[in-house]
Amino acid sequence: MTSTTSAVDLPLPSGAVARPRRLFLPHPRRLLPVLEGLVLPAVLLGAWALTSHQGWLPAQILPGPGSVLDAFRELLASGELGDHIRASLSRVILGFALGGGLGLLLGVAMGVSRAASEIIEPVFVWFAQVPPIALAPLLILLVGIDEALKVLIVAKAAMIPLAVNTAEGVRNVPRQWREVGRVFGFSPARTVFGLVLPAALPTVFSGVRTGLTHAWLTLVAVELIASTEGLGYLMVWGRQLFQLEFVLLSVVVIALIGFALDRGLNRIEARIGAWR
Amino acid sequence: MAATALEIRDLSKSYVVNGAPLPVLAGISLDVAPGEFVSVVGASGCGKSTLLRLIVGLEQEHDGRLAYDGRPIDGPGRERAIVFQEHRLFPWLTAVQNVEAGLARSDLGKSERRRIALEHLALVGLSNFAEALPKQLSGGMAQRVAIARALVSRPGLLLLDEPFGALDALTRSHLQREVLRIVRQEGLSAIIVTHDVDEAILLGDRVVVMQPHPGRIAEVIVEEEGPAREPGTPEAVALRRRILHRLGED
Amino acid sequence: MTAGLAPRVLRFSLLPLALLALWQGVTAAGWTDLREFPAPATVFARALGEWQSGVLPEALLASLARDLAGFALGAAAGIPLGLTLGLSPWFGRLVGPTFDSFKQIAIFAWIPLFGLWFGMGESAKVVFIATAAFVPITVNAWAGARALPQTLEEATAVLRFSPWQRLIWARLPAALPDIVAGLRVGLINAWLATVGAEYFMSVAPGLGSVLISGRDLYAMDLVLVGVLVLGLTGVALDTVASRLGAILIRWQ
Ligand SMILES: Nc1ncnc2c1ncn2[C@@H]1O[C@H](COP(=O)(O)OP(=O)(O)OP(=O)(O)O)[C@@H](O)[C@H]1O
Ligand SMILES: [Mg+2]
Repeated sequence: MTSTTSAVDLPLPSGAVARPRRLFLPHPRRLLPVLEGLVLPAVLLGAWALTSHQGWLPAQILPGPGSVLDAFRELLASGELGDHIRASLSRVILGFALGGGLGLLLGVAMGVSRAASEIIEPVFVWFAQVPPIALAPLLILLVGIDEALKVLIVAKAAMIPLAVNTAEGVRNVPRQWREVGRVFGFSPARTVFGLVLPAALPTVFSGVRTGLTHAWLTLVAVELIASTEGLGYLMVWGRQLFQLEFVLLSVVVIALIGFALDRGLNRIEARIGAWR
Repeated sequence: MAATALEIRDLSKSYVVNGAPLPVLAGISLDVAPGEFVSVVGASGCGKSTLLRLIVGLEQEHDGRLAYDGRPIDGPGRERAIVFQEHRLFPWLTAVQNVEAGLARSDLGKSERRRIALEHLALVGLSNFAEALPKQLSGGMAQRVAIARALVSRPGLLLLDEPFGALDALTRSHLQREVLRIVRQEGLSAIIVTHDVDEAILLGDRVVVMQPHPGRIAEVIVEEEGPAREPGTPEAVALRRRILHRLGED
Repeated sequence: MTAGLAPRVLRFSLLPLALLALWQGVTAAGWTDLREFPAPATVFARALGEWQSGVLPEALLASLARDLAGFALGAAAGIPLGLTLGLSPWFGRLVGPTFDSFKQIAIFAWIPLFGLWFGMGESAKVVFIATAAFVPITVNAWAGARALPQTLEEATAVLRFSPWQRLIWARLPAALPDIVAGLRVGLINAWLATVGAEYFMSVAPGLGSVLISGRDLYAMDLVLVGVLVLGLTGVALDTVASRLGAILIRWQ
């Protein structure tokens, strides 16, 4: 990978040729803000360590950083952590694929046809505002308490942003573009998938990003309801045994995965939106 | 009053681009007398806006001397006002509130400020639009409000950076005459930067022709008074040809 | 105008009516083994009954009060924090990365901890709802505080605004559209969190406990009433928020 940023902040004098490419540390000027950003976390970590070391708060309320680290090692060594992460991720992927796909179709319908949008909207606007978790009691009665429940609730969460964004993206495709399709005699399917969707891609993708974020948030909630594995289950389990280090560990892992999803999608989004 | 309002002596300015200094203005010298209207024309990128930004005090680092009324310029001041190409009105304030913003630093009371702001709106013919928001104004009207805002603090020097560039020909011609009338009436000094040679000739007592790389003054043309400045007169046509010829050289 | 109205009303009510008909048909025909699944009439009768007995209004009010308390708390913390993050470069560098990490924590992951830290009562729920609203409100206020375009920034310099005038006349108004957008998302999040808090945390009066008791009693009609009311209330909240927001930023 070539560094495209160097020209902006700290360009080389024209005489200097190859300076060794970035070692492990960023340049001092870029290091400073990073260090400043670490001050507060360091202070918080210190306060946390001190609190637990001095026994100001019982470990059942706030275990120390050391025990969280121990919990991490333990679960990592036994392979359990990997299992929980895998279980959670596979639910998210399944639910997202289902809900996202449905949302995409719905969004295309609403975006392409005004009539369709007027027909769908009354129910859609209402359904969008139903908190996914509120569907749990209903779905428990209908499909039981197993995987289907979790996947369906996650799917509901992922569906809404995708439908909203796709509809908006498709609606905003310049009319001239669609006319190009008509001039060349494209079939409706070809017009939608070959012309309209690519043009709407940046907007649709921001729906993908929001949808995946919502799916992830909702998954954690769903796993609190009833599961035998997954990160949410790990939290419930740790909470019930009053071993809060497992709860805190799950919180950190959940945040890290959320962060990774967000970052990854951000990168892709920046590429997709580049033509705009 | 001193014989010079604005004094520019050997002014140079460079930006650092990709680590190397890029000279934008080199050795500019120009005096503007009180009540004088100076036009500046030059190719795109030759540093005209940079020159105005230095004079108004938005840019402060430079070599050479830059003084107004004998005092070196070290930042924005009440006595120097600017109208940009875009109106730069605050979209959340009404027309009259935008004009009042030009009195931000005055000690006048609230009602007094309002009165003066309304007076200046009347000066640019917008009395009826005092309560309008910028989005409700046409481009020409918004630019008039911007002119009123620049004038309300009673500056001695008015700087205009292509203020009519985005307007249609009719509105532009209207506003040119209006600005000329106000500047004369208030006895202001003014500098207008423009791409439109006819506009430069119409408004300027002198026309400064600049050349790029780095920006410098190629020629300063003193104009005759009166009808010779009207577009279409033989004098104006000849002058126009001369300026365009100058601009074409590099 | 009126000519177009009839088809439009028809179109708007088409899907709700079709779904109702389908629902009625499925339950009446008894095709499925969803014997428990109540017919629409049953659900509406139940809704009416719960409303008249006062159970539903009481639950709705309890949930709304909780929701708005948490939302207000989240906004009261989030707007100043976000604005300070954006207005003070120093504060932004110091606290920004920490907030950015904090916001990655999926909101429901807080539930087990908050229950423990803030007790089983009302305060844990309100803090949880506040946290849910706080994140988008802060993010947007932060962005808003940096929204004043360079051109207007220069205008404030040329007009020689004092730092205070710059804040009140330029920076804050420029931030308002983002703040409003953040409040709207925050309100939606708060509503999600209200249901979550009532569902996962200790039992307390509210729509969440309507759902729970419906589930526990195998009273599907009650569950459906709860879902229906939750969605409608969400729509109402969002509509009010967007109307109020539009009034605040009429200049746009
Ligand atoms: N902040 C800056 N940093 C680096 N270079 C700059 C900066 N501002 C202007 N320049 C450069 O300085 C030169 C002069 O710019 P300026 O805007 O003064 O030109 P101009 O004569 O007003 O052009 P135009 O007629 O297009 O408005 C340009 O080459 C521009 O790229
Ligand atoms: Mg310019």
